[in-house]
Amino acid sequence: MSNIKRALILGDGAAGTIISNKLRLLTDKKDLEIVVIGNSPSHYFKPDGVQIPFGLKQYRKSVKPTEFLFNSGVNYVRDEATGIDVQKRVVTLKSGKSYNYDYLIIATGDRFTPEDVPGYEGEAKHFYSLKNALELKTELEHFNGGDIVVGQASIPIQCPPAPYEFTFLLDQYLKNRGIRQKTNIHYIYPLNRVFTIQNVSTYIEKLFEERDIIVHTMFNVDSIDNKSKKVQSLEGESVNYDLLVLVPPHRGQKFITNSGLANESGYVDIDKHHLNYGTYDDVFVIGDATNLPISKAGATAHFQSEYLSHSIAHDVGGSVYENEYKGDVACTTITGGEKAITLYFNYEKPPRTSFQSKTDFLLKWTSSDTYFSGMLRGIM
Amino acid sequence: MSEEIKPTKIIDARGSYCPGPLMELIKAYKQAKIGDIISVYSGDSGTKIDAPAWVKKSGNELLGVFDRDGYFEIVVKKTR
Repeated sequence: MSNIKRALILGDGAAGTIISNKLRLLTDKKDLEIVVIGNSPSHYFKPDGVQIPFGLKQYRKSVKPTEFLFNSGVNYVRDEATGIDVQKRVVTLKSGKSYNYDYLIIATGDRFTPEDVPGYEGEAKHFYSLKNALELKTELEHFNGGDIVVGQASIPIQCPPAPYEFTFLLDQYLKNRGIRQKTNIHYIYPLNRVFTIQNVSTYIEKLFEERDIIVHTMFNVDSIDNKSKKVQSLEGESVNYDLLVLVPPHRGQKFITNSGLANESGYVDIDKHHLNYGTYDDVFVIGDATNLPISKAGATAHFQSEYLSHSIAHDVGGSVYENEYKGDVACTTITGGEKAITLYFNYEKPPRTSFQSKTDFLLKWTSSDTYFSGMLRGIM
Repeated sequence: MSEEIKPTKIIDARGSYCPGPLMELIKAYKQAKIGDIISVYSGDSGTKIDAPAWVKKSGNELLGVFDRDGYFEIVVKKTR
Protein backbone atom coordinates (compact mmCIF):
# COMPACT_ATOMS: atom_id res chain seq x y z
CA MET A 1 0.00 0.00 0.00
CA SER A 2 1.33 3.39 -1.01
CA ASN A 3 2.09 5.97 1.66
CA ILE A 4 1.91 8.83 -0.81
CA LYS A 5 -0.35 11.64 0.36
CA ARG A 6 -2.40 13.96 -1.80
CA ALA A 7 -2.68 17.74 -1.60
CA LEU A 8 -5.77 18.81 -3.50
CA ILE A 9 -5.76 22.48 -4.45
CA LEU A 10 -8.95 24.12 -5.70
CA GLY A 11 -8.32 27.13 -7.89
CA ASP A 12 -5.75 28.08 -10.54
CA GLY A 13 -5.40 31.80 -9.77
CA ALA A 14 -2.56 33.43 -7.88
CA ALA A 15 -3.14 31.58 -4.60
CA GLY A 16 -3.62 28.12 -6.13
CA THR A 17 -0.68 28.45 -8.50
CA ILE A 18 1.78 29.83 -5.94
CA ILE A 19 1.06 27.26 -3.27
CA SER A 20 1.13 24.30 -5.67
CA ASN A 21 4.50 25.36 -7.07
CA LYS A 22 5.93 26.10 -3.61
CA LEU A 23 4.73 22.74 -2.30
CA ARG A 24 6.35 20.96 -5.25
CA LEU A 25 9.69 22.61 -4.54
CA LEU A 26 9.51 21.64 -0.86
CA THR A 27 8.33 18.03 -1.15
CA ASP A 28 9.30 14.82 -2.90
CA LYS A 29 6.98 13.30 -5.49
CA LYS A 30 7.25 9.99 -3.62
CA ASP A 31 5.73 11.62 -0.55
CA LEU A 32 3.15 14.02 -1.93
CA GLU A 33 0.97 14.11 -5.02
CA ILE A 34 -0.15 17.64 -5.89
CA VAL A 35 -3.39 18.04 -7.84
CA VAL A 36 -4.74 21.45 -8.89
CA ILE A 37 -8.34 21.80 -10.07
CA GLY A 38 -9.10 24.84 -12.24
CA ASN A 39 -10.57 25.87 -15.56
CA SER A 40 -9.10 29.30 -16.33
CA PRO A 41 -7.73 29.37 -19.88
CA SER A 42 -5.44 32.27 -19.01
CA HIS A 43 -3.84 33.80 -15.94
CA TYR A 44 -4.20 37.57 -15.76
CA PHE A 45 -1.94 39.71 -13.58
CA LYS A 46 -4.71 41.81 -12.03
CA PRO A 47 -2.60 44.68 -10.62
CA ASP A 48 -1.92 45.82 -14.20
CA GLY A 49 -5.64 46.48 -14.59
CA VAL A 50 -5.30 49.91 -13.03
CA GLN A 51 -2.77 50.99 -15.68
CA ILE A 52 -4.28 49.37 -18.80
CA PRO A 53 -7.17 51.87 -19.15
CA PHE A 54 -4.63 54.70 -19.44
CA GLY A 55 -2.43 52.92 -21.98
CA LEU A 56 0.39 52.70 -19.43
CA LYS A 57 0.70 48.90 -19.80
CA GLN A 58 0.35 46.67 -22.82
CA TYR A 59 -2.05 43.94 -21.78
CA ARG A 60 -0.21 41.18 -23.65
CA LYS A 61 2.49 41.26 -20.96
CA SER A 62 -0.17 40.81 -18.29
CA VAL A 63 -1.57 37.47 -19.48
CA LYS A 64 -0.08 33.96 -19.77
CA PRO A 65 -1.67 30.59 -20.58
CA THR A 66 -2.57 28.98 -17.24
CA GLU A 67 -1.35 25.47 -18.00
CA PHE A 68 2.26 26.61 -18.56
CA LEU A 69 2.56 28.19 -15.13
CA PHE A 70 2.81 25.03 -13.06
CA ASN A 71 6.12 23.47 -12.11
CA SER A 72 6.96 19.96 -13.26
CA GLY A 73 5.32 17.46 -10.94
CA VAL A 74 2.13 19.46 -10.36
CA ASN A 75 -0.88 17.65 -11.83
CA TYR A 76 -3.16 20.34 -13.31
CA VAL A 77 -6.70 19.08 -13.97
CA ARG A 78 -8.98 21.23 -16.11
CA ASP A 79 -12.24 20.99 -14.22
CA GLU A 80 -14.31 22.87 -11.67
CA ALA A 81 -15.12 22.00 -8.07
CA THR A 82 -18.84 21.84 -7.37
CA GLY A 83 -18.98 20.41 -3.86
CA ILE A 84 -16.86 19.73 -0.79
CA ASP A 85 -17.57 17.16 1.92
CA VAL A 86 -15.06 17.89 4.65
CA GLN A 87 -16.20 14.96 6.77
CA LYS A 88 -15.73 12.39 4.02
CA ARG A 89 -12.67 14.23 2.67
CA VAL A 90 -13.98 14.32 -0.87
CA VAL A 91 -14.41 17.00 -3.54
CA THR A 92 -16.82 16.55 -6.43
CA LEU A 93 -16.22 18.14 -9.82
CA LYS A 94 -18.37 19.46 -12.64
CA SER A 95 -17.29 16.55 -14.86
CA GLY A 96 -18.77 14.11 -12.36
CA LYS A 97 -15.37 12.94 -11.12
CA SER A 98 -14.40 13.18 -7.48
CA TYR A 99 -11.13 13.42 -5.58
CA ASN A 100 -10.17 12.38 -2.08
CA TYR A 101 -7.49 14.30 -0.26
CA ASP A 102 -5.13 14.30 2.68
CA TYR A 103 -4.80 18.08 2.52
CA LEU A 104 -7.42 20.31 0.93
CA ILE A 105 -6.44 23.86 0.02
CA ILE A 106 -9.31 26.06 -1.10
CA ALA A 107 -7.98 28.88 -3.29
CA THR A 108 -11.05 29.61 -5.38
CA GLY A 109 -10.96 33.39 -4.96
CA ASP A 110 -14.13 35.42 -5.25
CA ARG A 111 -16.46 36.66 -7.99
CA PHE A 112 -18.07 39.90 -9.08
CA THR A 113 -21.78 40.33 -8.37
CA PRO A 114 -22.88 43.48 -10.25
CA GLU A 115 -26.45 42.19 -10.01
CA ASP A 116 -26.35 43.23 -6.32
CA VAL A 117 -26.60 46.89 -7.40
CA PRO A 118 -29.73 47.84 -9.37
CA GLY A 119 -28.78 49.63 -12.58
CA TYR A 120 -25.11 48.57 -12.52
CA GLU A 121 -25.07 46.21 -15.47
CA GLY A 122 -24.56 47.90 -18.82
CA GLU A 123 -23.93 51.29 -17.18
CA ALA A 124 -21.00 51.28 -14.75
CA LYS A 125 -17.43 50.60 -15.91
CA HIS A 126 -14.53 49.06 -14.02
CA PHE A 127 -10.99 47.77 -14.49
CA TYR A 128 -11.03 44.55 -12.45
CA SER A 129 -10.89 42.18 -15.41
CA LEU A 130 -8.90 42.48 -18.61
CA LYS A 131 -12.06 42.77 -20.72
CA ASN A 132 -13.44 45.54 -18.52
CA ALA A 133 -10.10 47.38 -18.35
CA LEU A 134 -9.93 47.45 -22.15
CA GLU A 135 -13.54 48.65 -22.43
CA LEU A 136 -12.77 51.42 -19.96
CA LYS A 137 -9.72 52.41 -22.02
CA THR A 138 -12.02 53.03 -24.99
CA GLU A 139 -14.47 54.99 -22.81
CA LEU A 140 -11.70 57.23 -21.54
CA GLU A 141 -10.39 57.85 -25.05
CA HIS A 142 -13.81 59.23 -26.00
CA PHE A 143 -14.22 61.28 -22.82
CA ASN A 144 -13.82 65.02 -23.33
CA GLY A 145 -14.79 66.54 -19.99
CA GLY A 146 -17.57 66.42 -17.41
CA ASP A 147 -18.01 64.48 -14.18
CA ILE A 148 -16.26 61.18 -13.49
CA VAL A 149 -17.25 59.25 -10.39
CA VAL A 150 -14.76 56.66 -9.10
CA GLY A 151 -15.35 54.25 -6.25
CA GLN A 152 -16.43 50.86 -5.05
CA ALA A 153 -19.92 49.56 -4.53
CA SER A 154 -19.15 47.79 -1.26
CA ILE A 155 -16.52 46.23 1.01
CA PRO A 156 -14.68 43.86 0.66
CA ILE A 157 -13.08 44.05 -2.77
CA GLN A 158 -9.90 42.67 -4.26
CA CYS A 159 -6.89 44.99 -3.96
CA PRO A 160 -8.48 47.63 -1.68
CA PRO A 161 -6.12 50.49 -2.70
CA ALA A 162 -6.95 50.10 -6.42
CA PRO A 163 -9.79 52.69 -6.50
CA TYR A 164 -7.60 55.46 -5.10
CA GLU A 165 -4.68 54.34 -7.27
CA PHE A 166 -6.96 54.59 -10.31
CA THR A 167 -8.03 58.07 -9.18
CA PHE A 168 -4.43 59.32 -9.07
CA LEU A 169 -3.73 57.93 -12.53
CA LEU A 170 -6.97 59.40 -13.85
CA ASP A 171 -5.96 62.85 -12.62
CA GLN A 172 -2.59 62.48 -14.36
CA TYR A 173 -4.18 61.16 -17.57
CA LEU A 174 -6.66 64.03 -17.80
CA LYS A 175 -3.89 66.58 -17.21
CA ASN A 176 -1.80 65.00 -19.97
CA ARG A 177 -4.77 65.25 -22.33
CA GLY A 178 -5.38 68.87 -21.32
CA ILE A 179 -8.96 68.25 -20.11
CA ARG A 180 -8.46 68.15 -16.33
CA GLN A 181 -9.84 71.69 -15.97
CA LYS A 182 -13.01 70.58 -17.74
CA THR A 183 -13.44 67.53 -15.50
CA ASN A 184 -14.63 67.00 -11.94
CA ILE A 185 -13.28 63.83 -10.35
CA HIS A 186 -15.53 62.51 -7.57
CA TYR A 187 -14.32 59.76 -5.24
CA ILE A 188 -16.97 57.83 -3.31
CA TYR A 189 -16.21 55.49 -0.40
CA PRO A 190 -18.40 53.42 1.97
CA LEU A 191 -16.72 54.52 5.24
CA ASN A 192 -16.26 57.90 6.92
CA ARG A 193 -12.78 58.17 5.36
CA VAL A 194 -11.20 57.27 1.98
CA PHE A 195 -9.58 53.96 2.95
CA THR A 196 -10.18 51.29 5.59
CA ILE A 197 -6.95 51.91 7.52
CA GLN A 198 -7.01 55.33 9.20
CA ASN A 199 -3.39 56.44 8.80
CA VAL A 200 -3.32 55.44 5.13
CA SER A 201 -6.60 57.26 4.67
CA THR A 202 -5.19 60.47 6.20
CA TYR A 203 -2.26 60.33 3.81
CA ILE A 204 -4.41 59.69 0.74
CA GLU A 205 -6.87 62.43 1.70
CA LYS A 206 -3.99 64.92 1.69
CA LEU A 207 -2.96 63.83 -1.82
CA PHE A 208 -6.59 64.04 -2.98
CA GLU A 209 -6.84 67.59 -1.66
CA GLU A 210 -3.70 68.61 -3.55
CA ARG A 211 -5.27 67.29 -6.75
CA ASP A 212 -8.77 68.71 -6.30
CA ILE A 213 -10.44 65.33 -5.99
CA ILE A 214 -13.99 65.76 -4.64
CA VAL A 215 -14.54 63.25 -1.85
CA HIS A 216 -17.90 61.74 -0.80
CA THR A 217 -17.50 59.51 2.25
CA MET A 218 -20.09 57.24 3.88
CA PHE A 219 -21.36 56.57 0.40
CA ASN A 220 -22.67 53.01 0.15
CA VAL A 221 -24.01 52.57 -3.35
CA ASP A 222 -27.69 51.73 -3.36
CA SER A 223 -28.58 52.06 -7.03
CA ILE A 224 -27.65 53.61 -10.36
CA ASP A 225 -30.08 55.57 -12.48
CA ASN A 226 -28.80 55.29 -16.03
CA LYS A 227 -31.42 57.70 -17.40
CA SER A 228 -30.58 60.66 -15.19
CA LYS A 229 -26.93 59.49 -14.90
CA LYS A 230 -26.98 59.51 -11.14
CA VAL A 231 -25.49 57.17 -8.54
CA GLN A 232 -27.53 57.01 -5.36
CA SER A 233 -26.24 56.12 -1.89
CA LEU A 234 -28.00 54.22 0.85
CA GLU A 235 -27.38 57.26 3.05
CA GLY A 236 -29.51 59.50 0.82
CA GLU A 237 -26.82 61.28 -1.20
CA SER A 238 -26.58 61.23 -4.99
CA VAL A 239 -23.86 62.24 -7.44
CA ASN A 240 -24.28 62.93 -11.14
CA TYR A 241 -21.79 61.46 -13.58
CA ASP A 242 -20.87 61.38 -17.23
CA LEU A 243 -18.63 58.39 -16.62
CA LEU A 244 -19.05 56.03 -13.66
CA VAL A 245 -16.07 53.84 -12.72
CA LEU A 246 -17.37 51.59 -9.96
CA VAL A 247 -15.76 48.40 -8.68
CA PRO A 248 -18.64 45.91 -8.50
CA PRO A 249 -19.59 44.07 -5.30
CA HIS A 250 -17.75 40.80 -4.66
CA ARG A 251 -18.80 37.51 -3.10
CA GLY A 252 -17.09 34.17 -2.58
CA GLN A 253 -17.92 31.20 -4.79
CA LYS A 254 -21.44 29.77 -4.66
CA PHE A 255 -20.33 26.17 -4.25
CA ILE A 256 -18.50 27.13 -1.05
CA THR A 257 -21.76 28.41 0.43
CA ASN A 258 -23.67 25.40 -0.92
CA SER A 259 -21.11 23.09 0.70
CA GLY A 260 -21.87 24.67 4.08
CA LEU A 261 -18.45 26.25 4.53
CA ALA A 262 -19.62 29.87 4.44
CA ASN A 263 -22.71 32.05 4.74
CA GLU A 264 -24.24 33.80 1.72
CA SER A 265 -21.18 36.06 1.43
CA GLY A 266 -19.22 32.99 0.28
CA TYR A 267 -16.14 33.91 2.35
CA VAL A 268 -14.81 31.23 4.69
CA ASP A 269 -14.03 31.90 8.35
CA ILE A 270 -10.66 30.36 9.20
CA ASP A 271 -8.01 30.41 11.92
CA LYS A 272 -6.12 33.61 11.17
CA HIS A 273 -2.71 32.18 12.07
CA HIS A 274 -2.96 28.60 10.76
CA LEU A 275 -5.46 29.16 7.93
CA ASN A 276 -7.45 25.99 8.68
CA TYR A 277 -11.21 25.77 8.55
CA GLY A 278 -13.08 25.14 11.82
CA THR A 279 -11.74 22.17 13.74
CA TYR A 280 -10.37 20.53 10.61
CA ASP A 281 -6.59 20.23 10.42
CA ASP A 282 -6.69 19.06 6.79
CA VAL A 283 -8.78 21.86 5.23
CA PHE A 284 -7.16 25.22 4.54
CA VAL A 285 -8.27 28.38 2.78
CA ILE A 286 -5.96 31.01 1.26
CA GLY A 287 -6.22 34.07 -0.96
CA ASP A 288 -9.41 35.98 -1.69
CA ALA A 289 -11.68 33.13 -0.56
CA THR A 290 -11.04 33.80 3.15
CA ASN A 291 -12.93 36.05 5.51
CA LEU A 292 -9.73 37.30 7.14
CA PRO A 293 -9.61 40.99 8.10
CA ILE A 294 -6.78 41.75 5.68
CA SER A 295 -6.43 42.84 2.07
CA LYS A 296 -7.58 40.53 -0.68
CA ALA A 297 -4.43 40.71 -2.78
CA GLY A 298 -1.92 38.53 -4.60
CA ALA A 299 0.73 39.49 -2.05
CA THR A 300 -1.50 38.19 0.74
CA ALA A 301 -1.87 34.86 -1.09
CA HIS A 302 1.91 34.81 -1.54
CA PHE A 303 2.64 35.27 2.18
CA GLN A 304 -0.04 32.75 3.14
CA SER A 305 1.41 30.24 0.67
CA GLU A 306 4.85 30.70 2.19
CA TYR A 307 3.54 29.69 5.60
CA LEU A 308 1.16 26.94 4.51
CA SER A 309 3.50 25.21 2.03
CA HIS A 310 6.18 24.95 4.73
CA SER A 311 3.67 23.71 7.26
CA ILE A 312 2.36 20.95 4.96
CA ALA A 313 5.88 20.07 3.77
CA HIS A 314 6.90 19.68 7.39
CA ASP A 315 3.94 17.40 8.03
CA VAL A 316 4.74 15.32 4.94
CA GLY A 317 8.50 15.02 5.12
CA GLY A 318 9.97 17.04 7.96
CA SER A 319 10.90 20.10 5.94
CA VAL A 320 11.55 23.48 7.59
CA TYR A 321 8.55 24.46 9.66
CA GLU A 322 6.97 27.88 9.93
CA ASN A 323 5.12 28.57 13.12
CA GLU A 324 2.24 30.69 11.90
CA TYR A 325 0.99 33.19 9.36
CA LYS A 326 1.23 36.62 10.93
CA GLY A 327 -1.14 38.44 8.59
CA ASP A 328 1.59 39.82 6.36
CA VAL A 329 0.42 41.94 3.43
CA ALA A 330 2.36 44.19 1.06
CA CYS A 331 1.08 46.34 -1.74
CA THR A 332 2.54 49.04 -3.93
CA THR A 333 0.24 51.64 -5.43
CA ILE A 334 1.06 54.34 -7.96
CA THR A 335 0.30 57.88 -6.84
CA GLY A 336 0.99 59.60 -10.18
CA GLY A 337 4.03 61.40 -11.60
CA GLU A 338 5.99 58.11 -11.75
CA LYS A 339 5.89 57.77 -7.99
CA ALA A 340 4.35 55.11 -5.77
CA ILE A 341 3.94 54.11 -2.14
CA THR A 342 4.40 50.66 -0.64
CA LEU A 343 2.31 49.54 2.31
CA TYR A 344 3.65 46.66 4.39
CA PHE A 345 1.75 45.48 7.43
CA ASN A 346 0.47 42.52 9.40
CA TYR A 347 -2.04 41.72 12.17
CA GLU A 348 0.05 43.51 14.78
CA LYS A 349 1.76 46.35 12.89
CA PRO A 350 -0.26 48.91 10.92
CA PRO A 351 1.21 50.24 7.66
CA ARG A 352 3.38 53.32 7.58
CA THR A 353 2.94 55.77 4.75
CA SER A 354 5.74 58.25 5.00
CA PHE A 355 6.73 58.98 1.40
CA GLN A 356 6.22 58.36 -2.29
CA SER A 357 9.21 57.27 -4.33
CA LYS A 358 10.42 56.51 -7.84
CA THR A 359 11.88 53.23 -6.54
CA ASP A 360 8.44 52.05 -5.47
CA PHE A 361 7.11 53.06 -8.89
CA LEU A 362 9.75 50.93 -10.62
CA LEU A 363 8.86 48.07 -8.28
CA LYS A 364 5.27 48.32 -9.46
CA TRP A 365 6.23 48.87 -13.09
CA THR A 366 8.22 45.63 -13.23
CA SER A 367 5.91 43.62 -10.98
CA SER A 368 4.27 41.55 -13.74
CA ASP A 369 7.70 40.20 -14.79
CA THR A 370 8.61 39.47 -11.18
CA TYR A 371 5.23 37.84 -10.67
CA PHE A 372 5.29 35.48 -13.65
CA SER A 373 8.97 34.55 -13.48
CA GLY A 374 9.48 34.28 -9.74
CA MET A 375 6.57 34.69 -7.38
CA LEU A 376 4.12 32.46 -9.25
CA ARG A 377 6.79 29.78 -9.73
CA GLY A 378 7.24 29.52 -5.98
CA ILE A 379 10.89 30.56 -5.95
CA MET A 380 10.30 33.88 -4.17
CA MET B 1 -29.11 45.41 25.90
CA SER B 2 -31.56 47.11 28.19
CA GLU B 3 -34.73 45.19 29.03
CA GLU B 4 -37.19 47.48 27.26
CA ILE B 5 -35.50 47.42 23.82
CA LYS B 6 -36.31 44.31 21.83
CA PRO B 7 -34.20 44.06 18.67
CA THR B 8 -35.79 42.74 15.51
CA LYS B 9 -32.43 41.37 14.43
CA ILE B 10 -29.20 40.66 16.30
CA ILE B 11 -25.92 40.50 14.39
CA ASP B 12 -23.04 38.87 16.18
CA ALA B 13 -20.00 40.35 14.45
CA ARG B 14 -17.57 39.52 17.25
CA GLY B 15 -14.40 38.11 15.69
CA SER B 16 -14.87 40.36 12.66
CA TYR B 17 -12.69 43.44 12.38
CA CYS B 18 -13.30 46.97 11.16
CA PRO B 19 -15.06 47.61 8.83
CA GLY B 20 -16.67 44.15 9.02
CA PRO B 21 -19.23 44.93 11.79
CA LEU B 22 -20.33 48.16 10.09
CA MET B 23 -20.75 46.38 6.76
CA GLU B 24 -22.83 43.72 8.51
CA LEU B 25 -25.01 46.47 9.99
CA ILE B 26 -25.45 48.05 6.55
CA LYS B 27 -26.34 44.69 5.03
CA ALA B 28 -28.97 44.11 7.72
CA TYR B 29 -30.28 47.66 7.27
CA LYS B 30 -30.88 47.02 3.57
CA GLN B 31 -33.02 44.00 4.40
CA ALA B 32 -34.88 45.57 7.34
CA LYS B 33 -38.25 47.34 7.38
CA ILE B 34 -38.93 50.85 8.71
CA GLY B 35 -39.22 50.61 12.50
CA ASP B 36 -37.02 47.50 12.82
CA ILE B 37 -34.37 47.55 15.53
CA ILE B 38 -30.96 46.13 14.68
CA SER B 39 -28.43 45.20 17.33
CA VAL B 40 -24.77 44.62 16.43
CA TYR B 41 -22.22 42.92 18.68
CA SER B 42 -18.64 43.91 17.91
CA GLY B 43 -15.29 43.33 19.58
CA ASP B 44 -13.58 46.00 17.47
CA SER B 45 -13.43 49.41 19.13
CA GLY B 46 -13.44 51.11 15.70
CA THR B 47 -17.10 50.13 15.38
CA LYS B 48 -17.94 52.47 18.28
CA ILE B 49 -16.91 55.37 16.05
CA ASP B 50 -17.86 54.12 12.58
CA ALA B 51 -21.33 52.78 13.32
CA PRO B 52 -22.76 55.87 15.11
CA ALA B 53 -21.25 58.08 12.35
CA TRP B 54 -22.97 55.97 9.72
CA VAL B 55 -26.30 56.02 11.60
CA LYS B 56 -26.15 59.82 11.79
CA LYS B 57 -25.23 60.24 8.12
CA SER B 58 -27.92 57.84 6.98
CA GLY B 59 -30.61 59.63 9.02
CA ASN B 60 -31.51 56.67 11.22
CA GLU B 61 -31.78 56.57 15.00
CA LEU B 62 -29.04 55.41 17.35
CA LEU B 63 -30.72 53.84 20.38
CA GLY B 64 -27.47 53.24 22.21
CA VAL B 65 -23.87 52.04 22.38
CA PHE B 66 -23.36 49.69 25.31
CA ASP B 67 -20.17 48.27 26.80
CA ARG B 68 -20.64 44.55 27.37
CA ASP B 69 -18.39 41.86 28.74
CA GLY B 70 -15.51 41.99 26.22
CA TYR B 71 -17.51 43.51 23.39
CA PHE B 72 -19.78 46.42 22.43
CA GLU B 73 -23.42 46.45 21.48
CA ILE B 74 -24.71 49.07 19.06
CA VAL B 75 -28.47 49.39 18.71
CA VAL B 76 -30.01 51.11 15.72
CA LYS B 77 -33.60 51.82 14.69
CA LYS B 78 -34.36 52.02 10.97
CA THR B 79 -36.33 55.21 10.45
CA ARG B 80 -35.89 55.73 6.70
